[in-house]
Amino acid sequence: MRTRIGLQIVLAVGLVTALSIGLLATVTLRTHRQEMIAQLTRNADLLSETVKRSTEDYMLENRRERLGRQIEAIGRDQRIERVRVFNKQGLIVFSSDTSEVGHALDKQAESCFTCHAQDRPLTKPPVHDRTRIFTTESGRRLLGIVNPIQNQPACTTAACHAHGPDETMLGVLDVTVSLEDVDRQIAASRTRIVGLAIGAVAVSGLLLWLLSRRLVSRPVAALTAGTRRIAAGDLTTTIPATGGYELGELARAFNAMTARLSEAQRQLTQADKLASVGRLAAGVAHEINNPLTGVLSYASLLLERPQIDPELRADLEVIVRETKRCREIVRGLLDFARQTPPRHQPTDLNDVVRRAVTVVMNQLQLRHVALGLDLADDLPAVQADPSQMEQVVVNLLLNAADALGERGGTIRLASRQARLEPRGHEPIRRATCPKGCDLLDAATHVGGLAAIRILREHGGREWAFFLDPVYGRFSHVSTEPCEEGVVAPVTCPKCRVSLVESDSKCERCGASTFAICGPDDEPIRWCTRTGCHFTRWEAREHRGAAPVVEVSVEDNGRGISREHLAKIFEPFFTTKGTRGVGLGLAVTWGIIESHGGMIEVESEKGRGSRFTVRLPLAAAEQARDAA
Amino acid sequence: MNECDVLVIDDEPVVRDAVRRVLQAHGLRVATADDATSGLSHPALATCRLVLCDLMLPDRSGSEVLREIRQRYPGLPVVVITGYATRDEARRALEAGAVDFLAKPFEAQELMQSVQRALGGGPATQEEGA
Repeated sequence: MRTRIGLQIVLAVGLVTALSIGLLATVTLRTHRQEMIAQLTRNADLLSETVKRSTEDYMLENRRERLGRQIEAIGRDQRIERVRVFNKQGLIVFSSDTSEVGHALDKQAESCFTCHAQDRPLTKPPVHDRTRIFTTESGRRLLGIVNPIQNQPACTTAACHAHGPDETMLGVLDVTVSLEDVDRQIAASRTRIVGLAIGAVAVSGLLLWLLSRRLVSRPVAALTAGTRRIAAGDLTTTIPATGGYELGELARAFNAMTARLSEAQRQLTQADKLASVGRLAAGVAHEINNPLTGVLSYASLLLERPQIDPELRADLEVIVRETKRCREIVRGLLDFARQTPPRHQPTDLNDVVRRAVTVVMNQLQLRHVALGLDLADDLPAVQADPSQMEQVVVNLLLNAADALGERGGTIRLASRQARLEPRGHEPIRRATCPKGCDLLDAATHVGGLAAIRILREHGGREWAFFLDPVYGRFSHVSTEPCEEGVVAPVTCPKCRVSLVESDSKCERCGASTFAICGPDDEPIRWCTRTGCHFTRWEAREHRGAAPVVEVSVEDNGRGISREHLAKIFEPFFTTKGTRGVGLGLAVTWGIIESHGGMIEVESEKGRGSRFTVRLPLAAAEQARDAA
Repeated sequence: MNECDVLVIDDEPVVRDAVRRVLQAHGLRVATADDATSGLSHPALATCRLVLCDLMLPDRSGSEVLREIRQRYPGLPVVVITGYATRDEARRALEAGAVDFLAKPFEAQELMQSVQRALGGGPATQEEGA
């Protein structure tokens, strides 16, 4: 279906334009015609007056022949059709057309009718009433004007004594002129005006068509094409926000809608993926646990025999240990799929690390990997699930080995106690607006953590903005390209309440600040100016650096590219092709999150990566640390 | 007097056999059934001291079996076995009247600890057996 809206607009507006211009042309022509005829009437009247004056003397002197010749002479003028004089009885006394002299005219005839319509005839009606326009039998259009000849004292006292003193009207002078010239001029005007009108309609129509194409048809066609692409499932589609204000607005709204749709679909897909993992894990757990039950039961039963060969006992212990590891892996998968909370207990991470190393040692040796251990003495206990943390360390070690590839390399595994400055490290795990709307968006991750979603506005635009959820880090993500250095106020995306603070100024640039409510409703503020790196979490800064235990796994392998770095903790993201399902780091991430800890990756392409896991101290250790 | 101490209901032969072997090694007499129907109609049900029942059986769910046993033999303890190692699963089974919960896979010692707790006895069973 092609868009017809442009054509419809052009037709509608074109019709209205044509009608208006036509009306205007008609009115103009009519006025013009009336003016021309009025002009001609005035001229004819003047002419008839002139004729009357110029023949006055002949009349007074009763020189009828001279008068007749004079009238004939005047009648020869090309502009004058006919000049004639009637007496009071309607008899043509003189005429430029000598053949009609002596004929009588009925007083009801058209040239007499004006004055003789009433019983008592008018003596000098206004010029308009003395004028008549008529068509001859030969089809020529003429304008006639009558001019009454009134009695004067000179007429009654003249030598001829032709007229008595009691008469008021002596006769009528009738001058007829041709309308040919006027008609020709009017026809010329009409042609000109109609031509101009057609031209104007054509030009405005063309202009309208071009404008509608540019402002309506193309944007509408783009919209139609866009909707069709979306209908076909392409949610990455955007359309240029050109066109008139409303259409531009529509295009922007359309793009925003598409972005939301795409985001919703992404979330659904993610949820679907996770649900599939859940089903898969449950199925695997059920199927694998049955054979494992056999292995574990028989092996452990054999170990119960008192007189058992020590060599056999060692082998059986390996079987039992490895089967239990399988059990933990399956449970880890289930934990990931079902987000089961870990069974926390005060744990020495060095023990966890050593157990993990024994588990993977054989594999590392087979793959020519040298492992350097650097474990700190007197490591304080952390609050953790030992088997889950062991899984974390095993995962990180196996990933490091994979990164080293076939030629092998070196992995450094270290543990230490550290004090963690909140700035640049502390994740903001709770974020609400003053009215209590949750601002954390689990579907959008920045640096692997659920981002803080806010709305920014500038220059009449409004767009979603994702704050880096790590305090003091500024890897914010903007859904629209956003100019640096402009003050863009912030509102809650759910209830639209303003987050801008009236009583606080940015300590770097002086612009106003905005704040969200962090954990325990402590305010965390940022600068409203885009690109300004100011943030303050007053209460957290006041508490100072937190004691943590760090475990880091560092390899000198191939490293991780920047674009991969953002995705490595996502379920099903893998760079190992068919050798990986992309769950290892997702499970690792989930475990560390559920421990209230954090994991950090530093990597340089071609030079290696370092994963650092940080866990908070156990409650007793924290108390000791504080004391 | 009793012909059997423990009735094991599980559709998976390897689990059934392994459990039987462990229990027999500890001197218990064992009867087995491979689905809910045969388990519930097993003559040993009336005389045994403990039922070990898988939560996922081919014909009926283990919780239904558990409910029916609780109705017919209120004093007979039931320990449920499942491949789903989650707390929810355990909580539901315990709420439905199971005395304990065994997550597959388990070691012989774990199985025996659970069985002995359920039988309310210490090593007495050991003496009763051969």
